[in-house]
Parts: sequence; structure tokens; C-alpha cells
Amino acid sequence: MPDQLINLTIDGAPVSVPPGTLVIEAAKQAGVLVPHYCYHPGLQVAGVCRMCLVEIEQAPKLQIACATTVTEGMVVKTQGPAAKSARQSVLEFLLINHPLDCPICDQAGECELQDFVFQEGRQGTRYGEYAKRFNPVEDFGPDVLYVPNRCILCTRCVRFMEDVAQEPVLNVSERGDRAFIGIHPEARLDHPWAGNVVDLCPVGSLLSKDFLHKARAWELDKTASICTGCSQGCNISLDTRDEVVVRVRPRPNLDVNRYFICDHGRMHYRWMNRGDRIEAPLIRRDGELQATDWDEAFDRVVGILRGAAEGRKAVALVSPGASSEALAEAKRLLSGFSWTGAFQVVMGEEAPLAGVPNLALRAERAPNATGAESLGYTRDYAAAIAAAKTAAVVLVLDDPDCAVETDGALLYLGTVLGSDAPCRRADVVLPIANVAEEEGTFVNRDGREQRYYQAKPAPGMAQPAAWVLGQLVDAMGLAGATR
Amino acid sequence: MAIGVKVMKRPTQQTSYLRATLKGMALTFSHLLRPKVTMQYPEEKSSKDWTLSSRWRGTHRMLTDEQGRAKCVACGLCPQICPANCIKLVPGEDEEGNRYPLIYEIDEFRCVFCGYCQEVCPEEAIHVGVHYENSEYTRDRFVYDLERLSAQTHPVSTLWDPSDPKGE
Repeated sequence: MPDQLINLTIDGAPVSVPPGTLVIEAAKQAGVLVPHYCYHPGLQVAGVCRMCLVEIEQAPKLQIACATTVTEGMVVKTQGPAAKSARQSVLEFLLINHPLDCPICDQAGECELQDFVFQEGRQGTRYGEYAKRFNPVEDFGPDVLYVPNRCILCTRCVRFMEDVAQEPVLNVSERGDRAFIGIHPEARLDHPWAGNVVDLCPVGSLLSKDFLHKARAWELDKTASICTGCSQGCNISLDTRDEVVVRVRPRPNLDVNRYFICDHGRMHYRWMNRGDRIEAPLIRRDGELQATDWDEAFDRVVGILRGAAEGRKAVALVSPGASSEALAEAKRLLSGFSWTGAFQVVMGEEAPLAGVPNLALRAERAPNATGAESLGYTRDYAAAIAAAKTAAVVLVLDDPDCAVETDGALLYLGTVLGSDAPCRRADVVLPIANVAEEEGTFVNRDGREQRYYQAKPAPGMAQPAAWVLGQLVDAMGLAGATR
Repeated sequence: MAIGVKVMKRPTQQTSYLRATLKGMALTFSHLLRPKVTMQYPEEKSSKDWTLSSRWRGTHRMLTDEQGRAKCVACGLCPQICPANCIKLVPGEDEEGNRYPLIYEIDEFRCVFCGYCQEVCPEEAIHVGVHYENSEYTRDRFVYDLERLSAQTHPVSTLWDPSDPKGE
């Protein structure tokens, strides 16, 4: 924090900001949104859209707020007649070629062109007699479509690929009114972080094929969540429609993921909508798993845990995708035993985003490995599997493919149960909610604890794992036990 | 005569029904000579004096383009504006890459016939119709799917008076 702050006035509101701040950012502090297209806080300043023109006292001409730094005593007017008419003209120019196909455009409802034209555009156009430019839709990459007709040439996508992803495959081809976003003829937009250009695009020019025609922006409910794709812990928003997750978008967090998420995380949501979920607690009766209610299932688990001799071995095989709360409760439940806990992490390829320090799709494809480790779970999964063989109680937490074999009692808390899963042999199966259906905490690889929230209801009788384990802890009378 | 009922003596002109009867019959028969107002529904559905207003809002109709496809582009505005929540829409993409409705259903029982769907439609596809005869044998027939909506032939509502669009 610099000790010297610069004082200026924006639309009559006094603000104090550090030196070097841009007028557009200072305006945000004053609660004023200067309309803009090419400016994005996560990208280099380009100053090409000319949309953020504002009046600055004693400046001879209008200035662009995105490339003007603040000076002491500056008086900025964003709503003056000159600035307003300049922005109105920019919008009129943009609409010369922009098709009015909002009804079929996926961006409609969250389109900045739509918003600003509605806010301060002029009624009707004076260029009605000119035919609009037409170029066919282009396939840019695995998940990106380019609709050149809708492009307003803000160049955010070009700058993202060049400066942030540092794989410059996009450019502005041609000039003047023929200009469009071009892709290198031998390249595809298949960078692991390329999906961000869809979010960056202020209009519906760059579209996600995954989300194409799927839902309208105004139908979506957005829930703050944490990406479960890897140990980076990117902040995301789960967009749900009718209780189905349809899209994952980044949620800005300057300390973790800035404004971006990788394509792996962006596509890592389909499993949240799985239909083949366990919907009721199952207990083994006459050698078969049968559905029951929570009370009977809890009684059975308490019976098993009480029946096992004090001081015997217990093993917890947990998923590194479980919340810290659930992991802590599981540990507490087994605190009467000499317990070991372990988890296994799926490894993948690391894919860094070159332009942002300490941001990558991490090789460890699990969100809460650090949290599990800090609670005393180990990575020695093979040893835990071996120990499970002779343990009195084995607790499997949301690890459906876990190849566990035991002579003792097997408790399985999970979302799904395959027809030939080893956990079919469990004595009790308890249905739990997945990450989109519960509230919880993940600890990312840097030790940052981050909360995620419930986006949709859990199916049937499923409950958050932390609640299920907490009920068991209470029933066992272990509420005072150390965590 | 039972116990002492007093009988009033009145003149015959006052006690005769003849005069009143003739007066009533005169009114009755005078109607035979007046113009007919009864309409012989259902043989007769409109007359010179009574027609259904062109602004009538009845069961829906989906307009089609020259190829017979529904004009709807599945923009999702009608299910959004619908106060009765009676429109179900699932968008999809056809072979030419155009957005179109995979499922478009209107539950006419839930519909309150406000006409907002027609007013909001950017493609002038969905309309409320000038139509009121809607009997069916089962309730589920009142959920009109896209095919049925497109097959309707009745005139569509103008929603507002063409000669006075602003309602002044």
C-alpha cells in the first residue's frame, strides 16, 4: 500500500486511489461503471473500442478512461453531454454491422453491447440502407465457435491468447470494416485455457460449443463454488437451470485464479448431474442391501461401531474431493479406534497459464488433498488398502471404485454405487450429496481455505457427508472428542 | 263463505283480466314484427351485428414459414414472460445449424390468455388466436405441442385495435 493516495472527483464523488490507477478503475470505486468493451482488468490495456470516453476537466478532448491514469485533483464527468453523445455514436457505429439476432444469440441477457445500447444507445439507426457485412461461422477449436458477424473487434480474445496464454494463434485480420478475428491457418484454439476467450468476449461472437443453445442467460441461477478439477482451487460459479448444472464460469479471485479457469475445470461438471445416484440408505438384511430410513441406518452403524472392540484397527479410505468438514467428522467418528486414513489422488498433466504466476491446471486432480493431509489422512493408499484387510471397521467416503477388501465391517458413504463395485459388499451404504448439493470447505494446494455453496438439491434422501457423519458422531456420544 | 270474510264490491272494469291480457299479448305479438336477435349457434357463428373481435385472445397458433417449419427460433422469451408458466420450451439445433425448438408445448388449461407471448415474440411466431371452440375428450389433449400449434388454421389475434394501436 503506497502511503500517498491521489484524490480525484468522479461524477461529483470524491475518491482516493493509489498512483497509477486507471480512471476506469477509480470510477468503479466511486460506484460508476464506465461503459467499455476492450478494457478488461485481466488483460493489457488496448484502447481500441473508444467506448469509455469521459470528460476530464481541463483536458482539451474526451479521454478514454481505460488508458488514462489518475492525477491529483482530476475532475471526471462520465455523464456529460459530450461524453454521452460520443459513446452513443460509438454504439451506433458498432450496430452498423452487428446483427440483431439476440433471440438466437447465446450471449443475450449477459451481452455488454445489448446492455449499453439499452442504457444509452440512440433510438434507431441512420445507416439502415446499408447491407450488413456477412461472414460464415468459423470453428476455432474444440470448444470455441467464432461468429464474425457479431464481432465488435474489441480484441480481448487476441490479447488473452497473446499476453496471458502466450500462444498467439489469434489476430485481427484485414482492416477497416472488413476486419475480423483470424486464426493461424495451421493452428487450432486448443490451448488448455482457451475457453476463457468465450467469457472474455463482451458479445456473442465467441461461443462455447458445450453451452450452445443450451439455456438462456436469464434462466440461470449462479452459485459460488470451488472448482473440483484440480488442487488449484479456482473460484467458479455453477450456473444451474432447473436444478441441473449447465455451465461453469470463473469467479474473479485475484489471489487464486484471477479471472480465468481452465477448460478441464470448465467441462468438469457433468458428473454433478448424474442420474444413477444412491437415493436412500441401504443396510444389509438377509445378505442383501435393502433400502431403509436414516434412523435405522444410523442404529445399524452405531451397533457396528459399538460392537467392534475398543482399540481395534479402523481404516478410512476417503476421497480427496470430500469437504474438510466431512473429513474431520469421519476422523472424529473413528477416534475410539487406532485409525489410519488415506486417500488417493488421480494424476494428470499439468497445464500452466503462462501469463499468470502460480496458476495452472495442476497435476493433482483433486480439490482437497491438502485439507485431507492437514487432518491426518495420508497419501499411502496401498498401505491403507492392505491394513483394511484386517481392520475391524473400514469407512469408505465417496470413493466408488475403491478396491477394498476386509474381514471387518464395511461402511460406505457415497453418491454412486456401481453394479460390480467392491463397495457393494458394504454392511451399510449411506447416500451423500455431491459438491454441487452441499456447502463445505476445500483447502487448495497453497493452504487457502475456500468455501463452496449449494447449487441444487440432493436427490432422494441423500444428505451432505458432514451431516451424516456428524449425526453418527452425536449418536456415538463422541461430540466432545478431539477433531 | 266461512267465518265473516268481507267481500268488497268493485266495478267490473277493475276486476276483469281481459284488458291486461290484451295489453300483454299486444306486446308479445309486436315482437314478431321486430328484427330477430337470436343467433342460431352453432349453425350460425357470426352475424351482421355480432362478430368475434379481431383482438379476441383464444387458443394459440404457431405461424410457419414458406417451408412449413415453425417460425419459432426458441429464444425463450415467451416462457420467460408467461405469467401462468404454461409454455415449455427446449431449444435445439437443426441440420443447418439453426436454433429451433426441440420441444414447444403450451398447456391451454394453465394459460390465462393474456397475449404476452404474442406481444414478446421477436419472430412473430406464436400468436393467440381468434378462436373459442376447444372441446376435447381428454384433458391431456389440451397440452398443444408444436405440430398441433402449427396445424391450427384460425385467424390470429391483432392484440390491439389496428385503427388505434396506442389505445387512445
